[in-house]
Amino acid sequence: MDRWEALWIVIVAATLGIFIGTLVAIAGVGYIPPSEVEAEYRPTDAVEEFKPGIRSLGDGVYEVNILAYRFSFQPNKIVLENPKEVRFRIYSSDVLHGFSIIGTNVNIMVIPGYISEIVWRPPPDFEGSYLVICNEYCGIGHSGMFAELVIKR
Amino acid sequence: MFRDYEKVFMRISILFSFVALALGGLFGFIQLVSRTPGFPRLVDASGYYTALTGHGVLMAIIWTAFFIMGIAVFVMVSELRVNFRKTLLGLTLVLTLGGTVTAAIPILAGRASVLYTFYPPLIGHPLFYIGLAVVIVGTWVFSAAVIDVFLRWRRANRGVGIPVGAFGVITTIIIWLEATPGLSIEVLMDLIPASLFGKPVDVLLDRTLFWYFGHPLVYFWLIPAIVAFYAIMPKLLGVELYSVKAAKLAYILFILASTPVGLHHQFVDSGLSFEAKLLHTALTYSVALGSFVTAFNVLATLERAGRARGGGVFSWVLKLPWRNPVFAGLALAFILFGFGGIGGIVNASLTMNYVVHNTLWVVGHFHLTVGSIVTLVFMSITYLIFPVVFDRNIFSGSLAKIQPYLWFVGMFIFALAYHIAGIYGAPRRVDDSSYMGLSPEIWSPLLQIGAVGGLIFWLSGVIFILNVFASLKFGAPATVNGASLSEGSGGEQGDEPTIFDRLSIWIIVALILIVIGYTVPMMEIFSRGLSPVEIVYIGG
Ligand code: HEM
Ligand SMILES: [Cu+2]
Ligand SMILES: [Cu+2]
Repeated sequence: MDRWEALWIVIVAATLGIFIGTLVAIAGVGYIPPSEVEAEYRPTDAVEEFKPGIRSLGDGVYEVNILAYRFSFQPNKIVLENPKEVRFRIYSSDVLHGFSIIGTNVNIMVIPGYISEIVWRPPPDFEGSYLVICNEYCGIGHSGMFAELVIKR
Repeated sequence: MFRDYEKVFMRISILFSFVALALGGLFGFIQLVSRTPGFPRLVDASGYYTALTGHGVLMAIIWTAFFIMGIAVFVMVSELRVNFRKTLLGLTLVLTLGGTVTAAIPILAGRASVLYTFYPPLIGHPLFYIGLAVVIVGTWVFSAAVIDVFLRWRRANRGVGIPVGAFGVITTIIIWLEATPGLSIEVLMDLIPASLFGKPVDVLLDRTLFWYFGHPLVYFWLIPAIVAFYAIMPKLLGVELYSVKAAKLAYILFILASTPVGLHHQFVDSGLSFEAKLLHTALTYSVALGSFVTAFNVLATLERAGRARGGGVFSWVLKLPWRNPVFAGLALAFILFGFGGIGGIVNASLTMNYVVHNTLWVVGHFHLTVGSIVTLVFMSITYLIFPVVFDRNIFSGSLAKIQPYLWFVGMFIFALAYHIAGIYGAPRRVDDSSYMGLSPEIWSPLLQIGAVGGLIFWLSGVIFILNVFASLKFGAPATVNGASLSEGSGGEQGDEPTIFDRLSIWIIVALILIVIGYTVPMMEIFSRGLSPVEIVYIGG
């Protein structure tokens, strides 16, 4: 190994170090993946205990509970008025699904037995509808599993 | 140099890998055409997922593993001059071929359409998992065969550095042995009981076990390709590898950090903490260092060869033997290695992963990596070793010359379009992405451009397959023999051993890293208590 090669290794290692540092710094200002599990529900009593639907907490803050199952979301049309901050809580009553709002960074796995949570701050000027899809293979009807998210101002 | 049974082993495993490539390619064609808007739908949804399962398993596991076993024997015997034990090779073939056929039956019958990641609680036919388990046992027998050869060589060659090709094969085997326990536990404890008796399973635990295996699998594919860069390319060009020591450093980095990084496939999973994911990100970036070290070493070797042919500061590039299909395939794969690597850095970022997770970006990424870096290199190696293994020359030299370029061009278009489509959110693993007209308009043209690229590299694959099978029948008697291929492959026997040759130390460090990397997520999963769910059986 010569001088140039050693230098290259140092440069690359430093760059990768900066990447990791950036991730830590970003986490410091709150960009943390949806890692918490709030509660666990057995799939059989999921529907009774886990109430799918939209709850407005006032001031543009919403909590949206969504049930995912083969091959649909419930609710599958989500209408929000002037949302500032939306907490999605998604629960699957059968197999692995995904929850992805196309054109945003909301893109998470929905693992049966666990609740997935993600907080989304919609772009303030957006009006119209987003396509929401299941993006993990869940069986033969997978590509038909989607919902619509409508933002009204 | 090669014993008869070694030749038989290489012939069977390499031919079988070509059959997998051909059949997998057929499925790839079906998917590509069917999922592209404006192209004819060749299959319905059920046929699509049958094809997708077949494509994933055949390409990612069967094509790679069988080809790797074939060249592992080639490299070990020609570099170390130690022969394999016949019984171990025989047993390997019986188990791996038997297991593959067992698993293939339910896949082709459409009764195991669980894709090659087979995430529960979707559960397919039991034979699929049982066949898989048998294949794994077969690969362990093969690992034992390689280690046995290596240890016999080492005993007779104390104080000698390990030649750089054999070092790569050993690295591959070590990584395979690090990785497979995760998969075996998942299959034996959960998936086989689930498919036979309906045992409920914890999906997060099984995903974690799967990706414990799934990431090192990537290095299991990649390292044989790197072996070609280190051991074959310099020889082909008539120069020494720029730095044998750096090559060994890269191998060791792969051994150390290829396993405790699997959570980078689970960045958007719930139930795993941010801290655990961050730890795996950091380790992922350290294993990336191995790839950067490799890139420097290979580039420096290429420059050395170009300058030796009279090239200047930049013109050395043009002096390289671009008309030689073996060289062209390796060099083109090396260029794609750059793009694949950069994409990988993006995937490995905890936060950027949100944008690309499960989109066509990922499909673009792994067709660059396993689908091109690895596959193109294996095709190049085929052109090189075919005469030695099959005693016949390649049927058409001119087809062999254009084939790597065709693959490169097609793949470039395909991967570019799919990466961009992924940034716009277009999903992978769907037979149809129209969503009743709700999908963004930009998806269609990108998918169509991707399909054009895909058809081009698919055609290149067809040319490759036809050429090798034609060579079996019509190829002229071989003019190259094994001995002339193996002399002086960078890192001579007789080199001084380096600190990196002390494998047992590094294996211990690797195990410690694995324990650290996986204690954190496993404690999180188990301390909360498992949450098993009913399975959904789709095995018919
Ligand atoms: C021969 C030409 C090929 C074509 C036309 C092709 C096409 C495709 C397409 C369109 C997909 C995406 C399907 C989807 O997500 O809906 C796919 C997936 C995949 N391909 Fe290929 N491919 C080819 C070769 C290869 C090669 C050589 C490899 C690896 C050695 C490979 C490995 C994979 C894997 C692992 C998947 C993912 C399967 C899954 O998501 O379960 N492909 N291929
Ligand atoms: Cu789905
Ligand atoms: Cu990985």
